[in-house]
Amino acid sequence: MALEKKSANPELRRTVTPWGSFSWGYSDVGADIFVGLGLVLAVAAGASNVAFLFAGVVYVCIGLAYTELAATYPVAGGGQYFVMRGLGDIFGFIAGWAVLLDFTIDVTLFAWTSVDYSSQLLPVLVNSVHPWLHFIVVLALVAGLCFLNVIGVRESTAFNGVVSALDVLSESAILCLGFLFAFRPHLLIHNMQMHWPTPYQLMLGTSLAIISFVGLESISQAAQETQRPASIIPRTSVALILTILIFALAYSNLALGLQPWHPIVDAAGHPAQFWQIFPNNPDNQGKAVALLAAQVPYYGAFAALYVPILGAILLLISSNSGVFGSSRIAYAMSSTNLLPSIFQRVNAKYRTPVVSIVFFGSIALLELVFAAAPALMPIFARPYAHFFHGESGLDFLADLYAFGAATSYSFVFLGLIGLRLYDPLSPRKFKIPLNIPMRFRGERVEFPVIAVIGFIGIFSILLFTLRTHPLGRIFGPSWLLVGLVLYLFYRRHRKLPLLGSEKRNWRKAQADILRTAGELELMDEYLANVKASDERRAKLGT
Amino acid sequence: MLIFRAVLSVLTIVVGAFILVQMLANARSGFAIVPGVVLGAAMIALGAHRISLILRARRT
Repeated sequence: MALEKKSANPELRRTVTPWGSFSWGYSDVGADIFVGLGLVLAVAAGASNVAFLFAGVVYVCIGLAYTELAATYPVAGGGQYFVMRGLGDIFGFIAGWAVLLDFTIDVTLFAWTSVDYSSQLLPVLVNSVHPWLHFIVVLALVAGLCFLNVIGVRESTAFNGVVSALDVLSESAILCLGFLFAFRPHLLIHNMQMHWPTPYQLMLGTSLAIISFVGLESISQAAQETQRPASIIPRTSVALILTILIFALAYSNLALGLQPWHPIVDAAGHPAQFWQIFPNNPDNQGKAVALLAAQVPYYGAFAALYVPILGAILLLISSNSGVFGSSRIAYAMSSTNLLPSIFQRVNAKYRTPVVSIVFFGSIALLELVFAAAPALMPIFARPYAHFFHGESGLDFLADLYAFGAATSYSFVFLGLIGLRLYDPLSPRKFKIPLNIPMRFRGERVEFPVIAVIGFIGIFSILLFTLRTHPLGRIFGPSWLLVGLVLYLFYRRHRKLPLLGSEKRNWRKAQADILRTAGELELMDEYLANVKASDERRAKLGT
Repeated sequence: MLIFRAVLSVLTIVVGAFILVQMLANARSGFAIVPGVVLGAAMIALGAHRISLILRARRT
């Protein structure tokens, strides 16, 4: 039997435990709030918590969609695989290409903010004071991470687990003590009522808030290496989704209702509130969690010492996941003919996808140069001010990050709907709630209402991004356009369908996926569903 | 380890309830309390979810 034949390709070992699965996702998504908080407070002011709430609701829908898809199709390809299977090759390419943009931005943005957090203890690294030193350190970090990935050195799952555990404990302590001793509900309400932003600023803040929830690809990447993923992934994912949502909502509410431990004054020497240290100050925006932690009474004295270090390490892990993730996604896309086979090329000595790492690492470095240029050379400041409303380097990276995430997540929702309609036979051990039973092409299917709600939410964030991010609306679509042109050339060169899809045996593929995942009961259930469906169709003569 | 996680879960519920009560006490402010209410509810949900996982782990 073909199904029983062992694959000739080496497979990833399934050694990740439930905690490993959680910490894998947490070390990726958990770092996002360290970046997003300051950016959102700077623009959304008194509505920052509302911006996080809106983005958080959308994120919960995305998280549930990824949980269902990763538990049903536990393969490392992630979003692009689900979209390719649900909608076809070209849409799978667009989703994957958008994720690749996010991963390259992830490398630069998180290395950048890692240095910003370090600057809290090492003021010599403050970007506005020593931009060249800041640039060189970020450059060295990105190049160093690429080099480590080329020679095959990765942080271990155990290291991820320890850092994640420390961070969950630390953030929980900051939030618990902050809410118990420094939170003033009337101050929160006062700030929301007196400092409500304009609709434009709220849209901008909401589109930036989504970057606090990016990285759910890690759920599907962990699924490939988790034992019994259909059982484990839903358990860990729900905890991960709630944890990240709580941290984002808690930080934004606390920042608006915080009675600072030490008095804060503005540039003119007038008393100011905590959130007011972020507008027009990119240095502060890059290390918001460290600044907030330092304002928690008593505990802040201790937190001011270790939170910048913990934040810098977590952000560096997340930056590394960008290097690793981009090469893995490119490898997966290449194996399904969405990208040229050169991205599958593995170095004979180190057994790593060197071409992918070097290619996407180079793009990350280019993004860094573009982001840092106006601060490094004043000659660039004028065109940036003229064409891009004077956006800073951090804004540029955040713009593209939000664009890539909103685009790929939009397609993932459509992919989920497509898979529910076209692949109703695959057993779904976890199914997102609120479904409408119906018949489609002779099969009983369940139409996911949450996916429609999530799609409307994330698509509106994509529109907010295009409306409010001068750089994102130019470079984001340009990235997709360049990718699409290359894709069409490649497909034409390989004589593959340009706009259509290759013929694939998805039934065999699904049975193989479940078998290699160790989900033998689900595989049997799937094969029984297929058999029953074929018999039913034969009886009906269709 | 399970006891430690259980204590953390209970703490999450307590802080969630604390935030929820504080926000509901300002219910007259209308929409302004919504993000805080959602935060409190989410913390209670997470604590309950973790406790259910701990109980399941103890049973098996």
